[in-house]
Amino acid sequence: MFLFNMKKMNNHIFFKIMLAMAILMVNACSPDFLDVPLQGKGTAATDPALAENLVVGVYNSLLSGDAFGGGDTHGIAFISATNIMSDDADKGSTPSDQIGIIGELDNFLQTPTNTFVASLWSGYFSGIAKCNQALQALETATADDATKKRWIGEVRFIRGYYYFNLVRLFGGVPLVSRVPLSAEDANTDPKFQTRATAAEIYTFIKDDLLYAVENTPLRNATQKGRINRGTAQSLLAKVYLYEKNWQKVFDLTQSVIQSGQYALLPDYEQIWRQAGDNSSESIFEIQTGVFNNSDFGVNGYCVWQGPRVGGKGGWTDLGFGFCTPSENLVTAYEMGDKRRGPTIIEIDRTAERRGTVLYDGFRVPSKDSVENFYYNYKAYHSENKNVESFLGNRDKKQKNIHLLRYADVLLMHAEASNELGQAGQAINDINTIRTRAGLSNTAAMAGQGLREAIWKERRFELAMEHDRFFDLVRQGRAAQVLRAAGKNFVAGKHELLPVPALQIELSGNKLIQNQGY
Amino acid sequence: MSKRILLCAILSSAVVLYLQGQEVRVSGTVIDASTRESIIGGTLMVKNTSSGTVTDTDGQFSLMVSPGSVLAISYIGYTSQEITVWNDTTLNIELATSTVLLEQVVVVGYGTQRKVDITGATVSVQGEELAKQPVLTATQALQGKVTGVQIISSGKPGSSPNVRIRGTGTALAGTSALFVVDGILTDDISNINTADIVSLDVLKDASSTAIYGARGANGVVIITTKKGQSGPTQINYNNSIGFREASNLIRMANAEEYANYASAATGTAVTAGGTSTDWYNEILRRAWTQNHNLSFSGGSDKHTHYLSLGYFDDEGIVINNRFQRFAVRYNTDYRLNSRVNMGITASYVNANTRDVNLGTAYNNAYRAAPTIPGFEEGRYGNTSVYQNVGNPILDLSNNNNRLINHRIQSSGFLELKPITGLTFRSSIGNELTNVADRGYNFQFNNDLTTFLTSGGNQRNPNSSLRVKSENSLRWVWDNIVSYKFDLGENHFNLMAGTTAEQYTLSWVEATRQNVPADRDLWYINTGNANTSTNAGEGDKWTRNSYLGRLNFNRSDKYLVTATVRADGSSRIAAANRWGLFPSIGLGWLLSNEPFLKNNTLFELLKVRASWGKVGNDRVPSDAFTTTIKPNLAYPFGGGIATPGSAITQIKDPNLKWETTEEFDLGLDYSLLNGRLFGEIGFYDKKSKDLLINVKVPSVTGDEDGVVLTNAASIQNTGLEFALNWRTRVNTNLDYKFGANLTLNKNKVIGLNGGQPILDGGVGGAQIYTTKTDNEYPVGSFYVLQVLGVFQNQLEIESNKSGNGQIRQPNASPGDFIYQDDNDDGKIDDNDRVFVGSYQPKAYFGFNGEVNFKSISLSFDIYGNTGNVVYNGKKALRLSPFDNIEASLAYDRWVTGSGIQTEPAANSGYLPASTYYVESGSFIRLNNITLSYALSPAWLKVARIKNTRVFLTAQNLFTWKKYTGFTAELPDDSPTRSGIETNAYPTTKTIAGGINVSF
Repeated sequence: MFLFNMKKMNNHIFFKIMLAMAILMVNACSPDFLDVPLQGKGTAATDPALAENLVVGVYNSLLSGDAFGGGDTHGIAFISATNIMSDDADKGSTPSDQIGIIGELDNFLQTPTNTFVASLWSGYFSGIAKCNQALQALETATADDATKKRWIGEVRFIRGYYYFNLVRLFGGVPLVSRVPLSAEDANTDPKFQTRATAAEIYTFIKDDLLYAVENTPLRNATQKGRINRGTAQSLLAKVYLYEKNWQKVFDLTQSVIQSGQYALLPDYEQIWRQAGDNSSESIFEIQTGVFNNSDFGVNGYCVWQGPRVGGKGGWTDLGFGFCTPSENLVTAYEMGDKRRGPTIIEIDRTAERRGTVLYDGFRVPSKDSVENFYYNYKAYHSENKNVESFLGNRDKKQKNIHLLRYADVLLMHAEASNELGQAGQAINDINTIRTRAGLSNTAAMAGQGLREAIWKERRFELAMEHDRFFDLVRQGRAAQVLRAAGKNFVAGKHELLPVPALQIELSGNKLIQNQGY
Repeated sequence: MSKRILLCAILSSAVVLYLQGQEVRVSGTVIDASTRESIIGGTLMVKNTSSGTVTDTDGQFSLMVSPGSVLAISYIGYTSQEITVWNDTTLNIELATSTVLLEQVVVVGYGTQRKVDITGATVSVQGEELAKQPVLTATQALQGKVTGVQIISSGKPGSSPNVRIRGTGTALAGTSALFVVDGILTDDISNINTADIVSLDVLKDASSTAIYGARGANGVVIITTKKGQSGPTQINYNNSIGFREASNLIRMANAEEYANYASAATGTAVTAGGTSTDWYNEILRRAWTQNHNLSFSGGSDKHTHYLSLGYFDDEGIVINNRFQRFAVRYNTDYRLNSRVNMGITASYVNANTRDVNLGTAYNNAYRAAPTIPGFEEGRYGNTSVYQNVGNPILDLSNNNNRLINHRIQSSGFLELKPITGLTFRSSIGNELTNVADRGYNFQFNNDLTTFLTSGGNQRNPNSSLRVKSENSLRWVWDNIVSYKFDLGENHFNLMAGTTAEQYTLSWVEATRQNVPADRDLWYINTGNANTSTNAGEGDKWTRNSYLGRLNFNRSDKYLVTATVRADGSSRIAAANRWGLFPSIGLGWLLSNEPFLKNNTLFELLKVRASWGKVGNDRVPSDAFTTTIKPNLAYPFGGGIATPGSAITQIKDPNLKWETTEEFDLGLDYSLLNGRLFGEIGFYDKKSKDLLINVKVPSVTGDEDGVVLTNAASIQNTGLEFALNWRTRVNTNLDYKFGANLTLNKNKVIGLNGGQPILDGGVGGAQIYTTKTDNEYPVGSFYVLQVLGVFQNQLEIESNKSGNGQIRQPNASPGDFIYQDDNDDGKIDDNDRVFVGSYQPKAYFGFNGEVNFKSISLSFDIYGNTGNVVYNGKKALRLSPFDNIEASLAYDRWVTGSGIQTEPAANSGYLPASTYYVESGSFIRLNNITLSYALSPAWLKVARIKNTRVFLTAQNLFTWKKYTGFTAELPDDSPTRSGIETNAYPTTKTIAGGINVSF
């Protein structure tokens, strides 16, 4: 009897334990055990101000300059494909540094595998994708109508600007105007994988810019640094300039001039100082500043072009020394042109060896300790904290980049006026520019002579401002001028860069390469 | 009357208690039947439980079992025995030698099985085999011993090697095998002290790994740590002390050779000067390494414990590099009664690393000119001002990076056996890690205070401090029920269970500049607050699974094992979250069949076949969710920037499991009285829906140009051969030899979406060097074919294609002639060809041991063949002032030399070509150890039972065809492996040590 009881008791304990185990076994884990929200990474659903943030993100793409990696919009790849490729500047730096990549662009030896060509393509398309994302978010954003339209205008402006750069660099490119649903979608939609014609791209650009013109306020009603009506009108005018639609160019530039929002700065040098940021002359300027306690600017813009130590050495230099103004440019300036000084840092090669003292007091030694003869003064930003803001990060100096200035608008106005037969108006415009430059009035009268005078003025006014190469191509004299400057330019081929080889391969060979490559 | 009844009741209940709950003690000795020597470390396992013990240094054992338990005694090289125990007994067990390894008990997923009953492909390695080698992790010691397993180690102190089982079966989602340590699933075993390991079991084929479902695709390595044993406490001390140095260094040009080459390459006169610096010599050193272990093992009848302490110190052959690890482990088992059993294993490891930024320094040591001094009179030679390359010695000394890693790994289990054959087991394992990372960069100028010549870009105007703290916790909870029963000759073993797992991680980092150089002031507060930056992130994922297994054995002749597992993971999108992974294995023991039972040739002949499906879900948690990248700011009007964000990555919302289906055939044999034994195996693995980063065109707007998606299928087919010979000549001499060979063929069989994957960019003009495409192995090299060298201008001009175009119009004499594969008149990416893969076609090992009286000599050799590697270092020459390898200094092409294999002196920047692709075949003497067992009488007086001294050398000699540093390159990602850029040099170690037991 007792026996039985003991057995039962032991069994009791066991049954209890077994039951507990069984419950555990059925797995106390609830069905949401596997629904784990993402830690530390926001999604579209978690951000209430998504549209506004994406718009700022679009502006941020203007600063990208990762030429060896993720994509370049205004970094060294952009500098190489605009300034260095033209007769304004040479590769610079030491003879062997970047002889492959930049050397190729300098002498028109580029192949479809050139790294900078690839990073320009991916940089601009990356920017365009950000624009498309922002536009998609803006469709459903909760903001008042006027603000929404303004933001859409700003984003479409930037998209138009990116396509403008793409079409000038590569010709027709895939016309991407929406966000792909997935990688599949992008691979199967023909629009993503075939090149639209240059004309189609231009139409698209004009649409975007027109919307921006109509929906952004004037400059004095806009936050500094944001896109405003004057900016949109000026870029649209430039687009028409490339299409040779002189009437439109005239109308738009006339609008800008008469809006009263802009004026030339009396001192040319001042444009390039930090104090001259967002001045009355500034129309489209890439903003730089401080973020996360560090300098925040276009990646590498200043340091790639800073004066470089060479020869005897013995001083801490300012950069890698690329994009040096060419002898061709330096000797072409007229006597007394006040624009020469602020554009070119001239290295002292005299026997006295005084060196060159820059505006902030920094002394660049004489030629026996410096690699090159000339450097781009328009890319110089002082490292002296008492003169200009600098927190120590050379790669991201706070140097605003001037993409459109009032002077450019005046020159476009002049060119359009001349083409429309209004030589007088054109001469007035040129003379305004020349007077500021400390030069006498132009001797040109009309027609071809005046045209060439305007073109010449463009060169000196906008030297080293990423315009020269495109200007020469649209003027139809790229081959003539560049070959005369000693470059290997082949007409019918070198007006455009090659489509990157990797992109052609990834498109399944649907993208057609440019002629000659 | 009642008193009598009471007394009777008490007595009978006492008997009942005695019979039911009471256990019996079984103790005794285990000796070798022929030599009469005691067997140390023999295993005694109580069948159908996981309890057991191990014989001590006298061959003695003692444990408590419930009456009726079957005790299985086994030891490697001997025939096992089984004895049923009913009451307290002392057994004197004599084991007869048998080299039928298959009698041993091996660990399988969630249980143990006799090797002879296994239908899948598994291998078991004893802990002592692994402990012999002076390496950090047990997997490194595994190299060359097991078919189908490739171990690739780097020489870096504190690093864990890659374990690749049966070829690369995935492209991205982690190629490493799964490690299970005492039930805890982990990816990193650098914290496990090899001396604590009892056995290491490798599960290779899908039918054995299917029980691990979603984690089994790359194979599983199960590690069991030592438990204690009842009896007097045993103390064991062993150490090994030695030194390490770089084993294969390339000789770089000296000052004269360099001056000659650079003059030719630059066209300017480069002079040799007074110094000739050997940069590798400057940054490498002979390093000391030591390893000490002390363990205590003992227990009573109910309670056994094992405590071990270990200290490992590896200086690292690169200056300033050092790794130290302190480990303590405590394992204990407690048997409450015959039905309840519980245990705990716990370990704490403190690993301290002084890290060096090897990438930059190593690259610079290759490129720096030997004409510049290294470090003289307290100042550095300025290579930066000369050739824009940093001084590598300064690169390694201008910073101080320290990582302290605390890791607690523990598990506990509770086992209940309510009735015979039925067992419930619940176990919880967890792993808690904390990493404290501190990096300081010294401030230094590029003037004469630092350098011998001033100038250059190697300078740091502001000192900076970065402090990071990272915490992670992983827990896994298993609940398993198993039931074992027999129906006559048919034995069944059923198992069902469920497991849940969770992992959380979070880290915080802060940096500030202008922190003083005094080490005691390396805290964030001493820096300039105006320069503060901070960052932090986290991760969390979970898994949940249901599993079941059936083992069937009929008369020890016919074997069936079937498993099924359902896995759900939070890292896969909800629509595809659950995966089902079944498997089946069949075995036939021919040697137990009547027609073979009495034959004299075979002791064991077994055929087995299996099929299984396993998965792989090792993807980042955000792999299928579109996330927003924050802090993309813009400073409107200058000043402080306004924050913004963007969507920069395209994700695949339909991400699903990778699955691998594997078919396996095997033959296990043992003949000639067990002297010759081994196995032959065949496997065919098809892995599909593999996650891979597919390059997408820039027009999609994906900033890094890649999207993670299931896009590939890979097939691995192979043959494995293992052959062992073991014999005892007489009482004094015995020896054994083993050889294994694995042949593997890897092939991409499908690319969904049709896009080949281009990867392996090295820099310069070499944007990609590998192409993964159908019909070729993963990560095959795809480069231009070099045909020779242009000897003169005439050859350049006459090198025309079919349509009359000069193929290389811009070439000069001395440049390479490339093959125009499509004969279109120009050399471009369309002319690239496939030239082989980094995956070896065959890898093999050969090992042996000879024991003569008290002396023992063992060695093992490892090698592979049939693969190629890419000499990425040579490809990184970016300037004519860069240094070159000594062999190229004079062996280059010059006018009139007629050389066809080397180009003229050049400034680098050459395209990817077969010039950089070299054979990866090698053979290495992995380990050779000589040991001597001391046992003079006086040791016994000091109560020292056993002493052994040994001398060992690791990686003493390598024969390889490759001209670079090492042909063994740890995986980067499967589509870009086998490229040597900054590989840590492999090291050879010579050490000696002593093992003592008390």
